[in-house]
Amino acid sequence: MPNLSVLPHRVFALLLWIVLMPVCSSRAESDRATERMVMVTEQIVARGVKDPATLAAMRAVPRHRFVPRSQAASAYDDRPLPIGHGQTISQPFIVAYMTEIIRPGPGRKILEIGTGSGYQAAILAATGAEVYSIEIIPELASAAAVLLRELGYGSVQTKAADGYYGWAEQAPFDAIIVTAASEFVPPPLIEQLKEAGLMVIPVGSPFFVQTLMLVQKQGNAMTSANLMPVRFVPFRRAE
Amino acid sequence: MRLAGRGYRRHFALALVSAALLSFQIALLQIVATSQWHHFAAFVISIALLGFGVAGTLLALARDWMVTRQDQLLPVLLCACAVALAGVLWLTRALFGGFDSLLLFVDPRELLRLVAVAWLLMLPFLCGALAIGLIFTAGTERIGSYYFANMLGSGFGCLLGLAGLSLLLPQQLPPLCALLTLAATGILLAGGHRCATHAGMLLGLVLAAAALLYPAQLPLSQYKDLSRILDLPGATIIAQHPAAAGQVHVVAAPGLRSAAGVSLNWSGPLPSTAAVFVNGDMVGSLPPEPGTDDPRDASTYALPYALDVPHAVLVLNAGTGTAVAQARALGAARVVAVESHGPLAEVLAASAPESFGRLLADPGVDWQTTAPRTWLARDRQSYDLVILPDVGGFGGNAGLFALHEQPLLTREALYQIWQKLTPQGMLAITAWVDYPVRNPARLMASLVEMLAAAGVSDPAAHIAAVRSWGTITFCIKRAPLTADEVERVRAFTARWAFDPALLPGLQTEERQTHNRLQDDTLFTLLDALFDERRTTFYNDYPFRIRPVSDDRPFFSQFLRWDRLGAMITLYGQRTLPFLESGLLVAGLAALVLVFLAALLILLPLTRLPSTGRHGWRTLLYFGGLGIGYMWTELALIHRFVFYLGQPVYAAALVMGVMLTCSAIGSALTGRLINLRPGRWTAVVAAALLLHALLLAPLLQATLSLPLPGRVTLALVALLPGAVVMGMPFPLGLRLLNCEQPAQVPWAWGINGCCSVVGAAMATLLAVEVGYSLLLVLAAGAYLVAVLSSVGRAAPARPQ
Repeated sequence: MPNLSVLPHRVFALLLWIVLMPVCSSRAESDRATERMVMVTEQIVARGVKDPATLAAMRAVPRHRFVPRSQAASAYDDRPLPIGHGQTISQPFIVAYMTEIIRPGPGRKILEIGTGSGYQAAILAATGAEVYSIEIIPELASAAAVLLRELGYGSVQTKAADGYYGWAEQAPFDAIIVTAASEFVPPPLIEQLKEAGLMVIPVGSPFFVQTLMLVQKQGNAMTSANLMPVRFVPFRRAE
Repeated sequence: MRLAGRGYRRHFALALVSAALLSFQIALLQIVATSQWHHFAAFVISIALLGFGVAGTLLALARDWMVTRQDQLLPVLLCACAVALAGVLWLTRALFGGFDSLLLFVDPRELLRLVAVAWLLMLPFLCGALAIGLIFTAGTERIGSYYFANMLGSGFGCLLGLAGLSLLLPQQLPPLCALLTLAATGILLAGGHRCATHAGMLLGLVLAAAALLYPAQLPLSQYKDLSRILDLPGATIIAQHPAAAGQVHVVAAPGLRSAAGVSLNWSGPLPSTAAVFVNGDMVGSLPPEPGTDDPRDASTYALPYALDVPHAVLVLNAGTGTAVAQARALGAARVVAVESHGPLAEVLAASAPESFGRLLADPGVDWQTTAPRTWLARDRQSYDLVILPDVGGFGGNAGLFALHEQPLLTREALYQIWQKLTPQGMLAITAWVDYPVRNPARLMASLVEMLAAAGVSDPAAHIAAVRSWGTITFCIKRAPLTADEVERVRAFTARWAFDPALLPGLQTEERQTHNRLQDDTLFTLLDALFDERRTTFYNDYPFRIRPVSDDRPFFSQFLRWDRLGAMITLYGQRTLPFLESGLLVAGLAALVLVFLAALLILLPLTRLPSTGRHGWRTLLYFGGLGIGYMWTELALIHRFVFYLGQPVYAAALVMGVMLTCSAIGSALTGRLINLRPGRWTAVVAAALLLHALLLAPLLQATLSLPLPGRVTLALVALLPGAVVMGMPFPLGLRLLNCEQPAQVPWAWGINGCCSVVGAAMATLLAVEVGYSLLLVLAAGAYLVAVLSSVGRAAPARPQ
């Protein structure tokens, strides 16, 4: 025979749990949102990124969902993180810097080469841009596609393919982000860039100080510009 | 004289286990270089010494207990050593997945993995050293002959390791070493009946056989080039070849292409091509097949051919032959290609006959397998064009190579190359542009100083440099550039959207027409380095850009310790390691090992009862010997890398000769009378000072000898000093055994600990002060030992 005298206590405990659980969950969510706010303020705005769409996207996209569980605690740290297969998720500032450079937003069509974790694609999608993303490693491609859909960024078109060939069917693009550093710029990507389009490519290995190369198409002429997010004090010749 | 009781069984067992441990050490050098990076070599040596040091400590703490049970313990220890050797690689991977040195500054858990892996790798050394130490401790009256067997076995082990790397995969060597140790166990057990040990031997045999016949894949860092390429869909290893100079892999994948620095104006195809790796690091791609467009022609590498069509070309560190193929395709009649990695050409010819094999069959190509500096010293031909290997990696990445010797980029090497040019000849070298500017700056400084040394009064008239979005190529002509050549350079840059960086008559606005940089630092530096007061800029610039010399050939070491604070302020503490990670990773590994040495060797020894009189003498004597020996060994290894052209050959030769000759010296201490430890230690110090003064000029003068001649000369140069270096330790130990026997294990532990510290510090010191000074410092360590032994008598001669 159940002990009915304890029943009210148990019901009360259950009710308490039902009431408090969303509070606790939202508290956990809001904690990470707080971390994102701090990240944006201290790591991104403080270093000169101003584009409102970029900043809003950085505040909105849950970066911690794009890193392995073992790295989740460090998701909002000011550094790149390993995601397996010799790949990394870039330092938050680099992601924001690259995003701002290509001026994303509604109406902009952007191709990403190297989906990786999917974080950059999510940021671009959060700005309202039309995003296409290619990843050559099938495991990363499928994991990113699932995650992007789960988090509400299902508008991002992804495919597992060799990024060298770009995405000819959807070309031309207003901007191309090549997130996987390469020793050369694939000619098909240059062809798929619109007139006055921008391509941004990191130069160097992810765990080292990277420069960013901005390639711009003007008619038949291609120009490049090296950008360094961390500004080194120029060396001046003493007279 | 008959050795009481056990005959020579213990001597044979000692020699076998010593050989096994040294072979394992040699194998680990390549295993660690493949799975991580080569600058972990000192880390490997320190792990070995840590094992020996910990063994000394354990012997000190449980000496009487172990000596009483020596007949039972010795086979058990050797058996445990064999099992550890056979299973350590598998265990490391299974328990920790190895560790990734590149993540040391990203994930704090990697530091724990580093400690754990160091601990596991130490186990075979610990077990083997306990057996060796127990034999020494139980038979100090025969220390001379035991030390001889130990050193002789170690010397043999070096040769065995070298031979093994040429014939087997590096991960197959540890189980082979396990079999040697099992043989040692069997010798000790001969005639005995110990079921437990026999069972252990059977386990060891099974594990060793399995590991030898079915070698496990080495756990590569996921960030090694080979790992990342193997992750590509359809990636296949089309050739794999063991070699003491570095294991070769050739990998093909549909998505694998190579067109380093190709112009943004290139519209041709970039076909898939196989990539070549040595010890997991990519060394290049295969050249294009004949009849196909070469995107290299649309890169700054083609600059020399825009200036002229050379008749005779010398390509140094020819690697996969892409520069050779380009030279022939663009009109060179004769190409001499020099590559030090012996088996590389054969492997590539067999796996890629169309793209690479044709080069070897080409009558216009002369492929030489020798160290480039040796070739420069021996060759009497002149060339219209000499092509040097690339400087830096994609995007810079200078820091990772900070501990890498680069003998082709020293003052002496560049001057040697200059002498080989015909009157209209030129030298071409390409660097990846980095930021902050380091590689191009040091390269420019080296080239300008070379021209100054050659008596060129106007260096600017002899240099053309062209920059793309990622690379900068310097062409330095023997004769001043003509107006026609200058126009050809301009036409070349216009065609491919490059920018001239240095050219007679160059206007400032021409420098960034197509490829803008974030600031003018590169150009400011290039211009400033023409100035005769350039030493001021060397001092002012936040990074080291002074040209390097043969004594300190670390071209990619740019970190200035006096600017460390300023760099941290500018970049933040987190970013600094990514600038100069090679040096900092090696430093961190050294700290970890020093910590482990203090914890595992010294700390337990504080539990011993009072060490009696003159404990400080024992500390200084045996500590000085430990540090002095390791600094000497590592300084000589680095010196002979340069002389012989291959790190593994140099390591095996130096270690083999030093250990074998030290064995002879040790054996002599048992036969000569009235040997005072202090006097012989002073002789060692004097010998090291002589080496510091005379060795470099001797090696320089004989660099042109063929390899057998250089090896013979190395033996002659090393032999006398190495024999004498084998004397102080057994002499001191014998004297200590007479005066203060309780201090013997402590002495061994001190020596082991200081050897670990010495090995960990040696490479870092060499980078800062150079090899010659490192030898002087080693002599200083021996002098400390001399001073600590002043006034002590000679030990009694053993019966």
